[in-house]
Amino acid sequence: MALPSTDRGAPASVAGSEKRHAVEFTAHAGEYFRIWIVNLALTVVTLGIYSAWAKVRKRRYFYGHTRIDGESFEYRGNPLAILKGRLIAVALFAVFYAIGHYAPLYIWAVYLVLLFFGPWLVVRSLAFNAYNTAYRNVRFAFSGTYATCLGLVLGYGLLTLVTLGLGFPFLRRRLVQFAAVSHSYGRTRFALDEGFKKPFVRPYFVVIGVSVLLGVMLAAFFAVMIVVAGAPKPGAGVPAWMSTAMIAGVVAFYALLFLQIGYIKARTVNAVWNHLSVGPMRFESVLRARDLIWLYFSNFVAVVLTVGLATPWAAVRSMRYRVSKTTAITSDPLDGFAQAEAQRVNVAGEEMADFFDIDIAL
Amino acid sequence: MTEFDAVYYDGRTSARKPVRVRGYTLVIQIVGEGLRLDVPLGKVRVDPPVGGTRRALHLPDGAQLQTDDHAAVETLFPRAHALEGWVHGLERRWPYALAALAVTAVVAWWSVVDGLPLAAKIVSGFVPVAWEAKLGEQTLEFFEGRLCRPSALGAARRQALQQRFARLTAGLADGYSYRLLPRDCRGVGANAFALPGGTVVMTDALVKLAQSDDQISAVLAHEIGHVRHRHGLRMALQAAGLAALAAALFGDATSITSLATTLPVALLQSGYTRELETEADDYAFRRLRKIGLSPKAFAEIMLLLEKDHKKRSGGDSRNYFSTHPATAKRIERALAAP
Repeated sequence: MALPSTDRGAPASVAGSEKRHAVEFTAHAGEYFRIWIVNLALTVVTLGIYSAWAKVRKRRYFYGHTRIDGESFEYRGNPLAILKGRLIAVALFAVFYAIGHYAPLYIWAVYLVLLFFGPWLVVRSLAFNAYNTAYRNVRFAFSGTYATCLGLVLGYGLLTLVTLGLGFPFLRRRLVQFAAVSHSYGRTRFALDEGFKKPFVRPYFVVIGVSVLLGVMLAAFFAVMIVVAGAPKPGAGVPAWMSTAMIAGVVAFYALLFLQIGYIKARTVNAVWNHLSVGPMRFESVLRARDLIWLYFSNFVAVVLTVGLATPWAAVRSMRYRVSKTTAITSDPLDGFAQAEAQRVNVAGEEMADFFDIDIAL
Repeated sequence: MTEFDAVYYDGRTSARKPVRVRGYTLVIQIVGEGLRLDVPLGKVRVDPPVGGTRRALHLPDGAQLQTDDHAAVETLFPRAHALEGWVHGLERRWPYALAALAVTAVVAWWSVVDGLPLAAKIVSGFVPVAWEAKLGEQTLEFFEGRLCRPSALGAARRQALQQRFARLTAGLADGYSYRLLPRDCRGVGANAFALPGGTVVMTDALVKLAQSDDQISAVLAHEIGHVRHRHGLRMALQAAGLAALAAALFGDATSITSLATTLPVALLQSGYTRELETEADDYAFRRLRKIGLSPKAFAEIMLLLEKDHKKRSGGDSRNYFSTHPATAKRIERALAAP
């Protein structure tokens, strides 16, 4: 397989003093399929124990093939730490599952624990992943705290409850902002300017508006049909038009699910990345809703038709699309910018290593 | 001597420095603009190879070399990773990948058909009977008052049924404390259900539907079979195992794609339920014979239950996810029971 040589930088065009670096994803679906299936076989044969190694190998393949300015990312997660995290996660899951199944009266206790435990998991997981990601031999870091995350979840969660779900976009927006600005590359903090706020919440309200409209139309349809065809008589079973309408409704619901998810994802990802910067580097993301909807739908069909065998292809294809629509723009050479500031982080980073040697996949 | 091109990062900054690396038996020599470094081979840590990704050589003090010269790295560090080196070898060739596919398919198939039910049976054997009784109480608490009210049957009628139940459970000595709870459950129709630990709930509608008390005994014997074989617990364990297997096989799929696994998992689960029903049926046939009743009574009540069910669902007997084996088959087995 031909590999891009070390010196191959992305074709860079100069606009003013800014330099544009295409982000590349050089993985091959066939190669990833072999990695995926071999690691899957080893996972099932070892009753899941190998899954930690499998996760690291798959991550390393994806990170290693993601390049900015010709240099690839690096995943440094330790399989043993991941295995430890997974065993804890499995034990917790078993307890929650048993309570939900056998003591449904105490399920509120599970929700209460999850409410306080969830933010902790999110913070630890982001920290682990950031700490174990490197680019040009400089690690990322995550400095968000549990207290902040819990405060956001409780505060905005309450808002979401009180507003019957209308507060949800703001909960997401605040969490995404928290996740973004708590990251740093070396010593350089990521920054997210306020401009991302409006384009981030708008797609949610578009979807809510369209859903309400469709709901009203559906109710009107049923009202008209009941007047025209007569109300279903008790004990006579469901009339034919109603069962047909129900099936059509379910199909429409799933179709709308793809549309919503694709649309919201494209718009929110663009909103965040177009307003994100780290030192002298900023980004440009031009995902299109219709591309993502098609991507999700075709992946879904392919995975179902192949009984899951198309999963690696779908994963490579999704990543390739994401990356192809992203550009990194710098005003200074990448060499220079971390130089002064990256100096101190490794020391602090090494000290914190022990705190992060756990990963619970979410 | 091995020689290759690499990029050197000092670990303090993101600055890249192209270098030439010469590998000797005990040491590597790194030479670049303003840089000349000798590092003992034993101090170098190499990442295991994955696909065609660039190799990283970790040097002391957090410095790093990155290179695409896989051959050179292999020559310098031939035995760096026993396990992952072997895995990498498998990942590189299609015949091994196809063999892995076959192994995965066979193991997954075996797990679903035999492995999970067997494992659930073994694990359930370690759960103390007292725990099961607790779990049963929880379930009962959940629908007592919500779905069911105390039975509206006369005291004498209830007494007669309790005696029948006592005859069925007499001398079982399996640690379960059996008890029969006649209940008036309006929305449920003619039915009976077993809870872990030995409680059997029987609806008034079932008592009214049955044409003879032997038929009621047949249904109760079936429910006792569920208790004795720990079906509630085994079902829960099998369902959890199935969920874990599905997560391992399809966990990489995006969340929207994993929606597609819901249906097959539900289908497999109803398959498990059918198996357990057959096991409970077999137990009922043996138990009925033992106390001098005929399994024919089971066939009769099955027929009545099916008619009743059809009537209740408005003559529409399309039931895609039927959890019980086809009634005709169960009747056939009851009539053929020794």
